[in-house]
Amino acid sequence: MSEYAISIASNMGMIAFVALSAYVVLVVGEISFGQQAYFGIGAYVSGMATAMWGWPFGFALVLGSCVAAIAAFAVGALTLRLRGLYFAIATLCFAEMIRLGLNSIHVQVEIDGEPVGPDGAEGFGDIRWMFEHDVTTLEYMFIIYALLGAVLVVLLLVERSNLGAVIRMIGQDPLLARSQGIDVGTCKLLVIVFSGMIAGLGGCLYAHFATYIEPNVFNVMLGVHALAYGLIGGLGTALGPIIGVVLDIGFLEGVRAIQGYRMIAFGGLVAILLIIMPRGILDEVRIHHIKRWLRRQ
Amino acid sequence: MLEVRDLVTVYGAIEALKGVTLSAKQGEITCILGPNGAGKTTLMYSIAGILKPRSGSVSVNGREITGSSAPYALACGIALVPENRLVFPSMSVEENLRAGAFRRLRGDRSAVLEDIDKAYVRFPSLKRRRDQAAGTLSGGEQQMLAVARAMMSRPNILMMDEPSLGLAPLVVSEVFSIISQLNKEGVSILLVEQNAHKALQIASHVYLLDQGRVAFSGTPGDIGEDDIIQRAYLGSKAA
Ligand SMILES: Nc1ncnc2c1ncn2[C@@H]1O[C@H](COP(=O)(O)OP(=O)(O)OP(=O)(O)O)[C@@H](O)[C@H]1O
Ligand SMILES: [Mg+2]
Repeated sequence: MSEYAISIASNMGMIAFVALSAYVVLVVGEISFGQQAYFGIGAYVSGMATAMWGWPFGFALVLGSCVAAIAAFAVGALTLRLRGLYFAIATLCFAEMIRLGLNSIHVQVEIDGEPVGPDGAEGFGDIRWMFEHDVTTLEYMFIIYALLGAVLVVLLLVERSNLGAVIRMIGQDPLLARSQGIDVGTCKLLVIVFSGMIAGLGGCLYAHFATYIEPNVFNVMLGVHALAYGLIGGLGTALGPIIGVVLDIGFLEGVRAIQGYRMIAFGGLVAILLIIMPRGILDEVRIHHIKRWLRRQ
Repeated sequence: MLEVRDLVTVYGAIEALKGVTLSAKQGEITCILGPNGAGKTTLMYSIAGILKPRSGSVSVNGREITGSSAPYALACGIALVPENRLVFPSMSVEENLRAGAFRRLRGDRSAVLEDIDKAYVRFPSLKRRRDQAAGTLSGGEQQMLAVARAMMSRPNILMMDEPSLGLAPLVVSEVFSIISQLNKEGVSILLVEQNAHKALQIASHVYLLDQGRVAFSGTPGDIGEDDIIQRAYLGSKAA
């Protein structure tokens, strides 16, 4: 694999985490414009853990995703009563707060005579775990895809379970779900926490891949893209957002000939799909047909 | 038996229920009539644990359930078919049925599957559409599915909020005959209706709700249909 192909593939894998995290919130019936914040929290916290405190990579991943999950819990608990537009705006505000907060965080320690750590808008460089441990970009790509695969398996299993059915019920009609005896608030909070954890994990991976991060990477456009991936690929299965990522990053960005037109093509793609397939390529109904077809085979 | 005493439910500053007292006896069809905005839907939600009443009490067979959660009300045998929101639109008919029994799925899965088969016997048109997205069913079929789904929790009391809303007369008759049928099989029914004519034919007790208060309570024989319609839909002042 060429370095270029590896970098595109790794990018797809890492962005897929944010896409999945936006997707689970979409499935429970809310639109979040703030999933990029959890990605950012995961990136910063895990970066600090390895670069500043010398933690092993695995522990840094756990810490980064847990802190992101805790942040998601706080946001979820505060916004539980909000719906629709109000929820969307609240998540956007929170994410911007985090981004601006990162702009003014200066915590650095001296390592080998060099200051290491987040330096406000100057960013946070020298997250050198990959070099220090002689991990090649190819090996790192496998780490990304192994973790992505694990998250996908969990999501697909949940989707087949009672919990998955409950989450879909809430997404379609929370009041009707409640009258089926479902504890809507707790379920929603659970989904939001899980979404924060997934995005956080993606952020951890991103920080160690990029080695340099800055607050502006985690701006709202990342969150908007994450939402769009689910809406393109489909809300019927966790594979939907993956399709969205592959279409956008793999195809539009990966194919050099059309690279410059990516944003134009992407915007058009989203607009057209929302008109002809409002819930994406793999929506609930299509998934249902596919499942039935598979059962018959 | 379901008993509601002095129930007060508010939305912010609006007092939608101003002290409602009524009861639905075991094995009977109890009907609540009233003009738009009387508080009928609010009453249903307050009983089902979806809205928390400010004061008063709700009890089932002597067990107090006031202000408890929706899961608890359901566990006490109260099922609600809400007004206007009947099905989970992009879930299939069968998934909708399973949704009604999801609290039982962990325990006795086979019993749930049996109940689904029973529902298909009662509603053959649903069986033919078991894999169809519920949102693509006709209005009447959706109402049938909503009833079938509510029955999946094996309720003692079935609460229905305006089941005839927006249905053609023939389908309305079908819905009402299903309600009577379920009642004959032992399910108590608490029915909210605008269709006073149909409701009075099957009800054993009638309440008239007006502006958050019970304006009349009695059997359909105690009050003429004209009188009910006058009081329920032209307002109490006109009577
Ligand atoms: N979510 C809400 N917020 C504020 N006020 C509400 C809300 N829901 C209902 N109300 C008010 O409470 C009162 C009772 O409403 P409710 O829906 O219970 O009436 P209803 O008897 O079911 O009417 P209809 O026959 O039209 O269904 C109305 O005045 C209504 O405006
Ligand atoms: Mg109503």
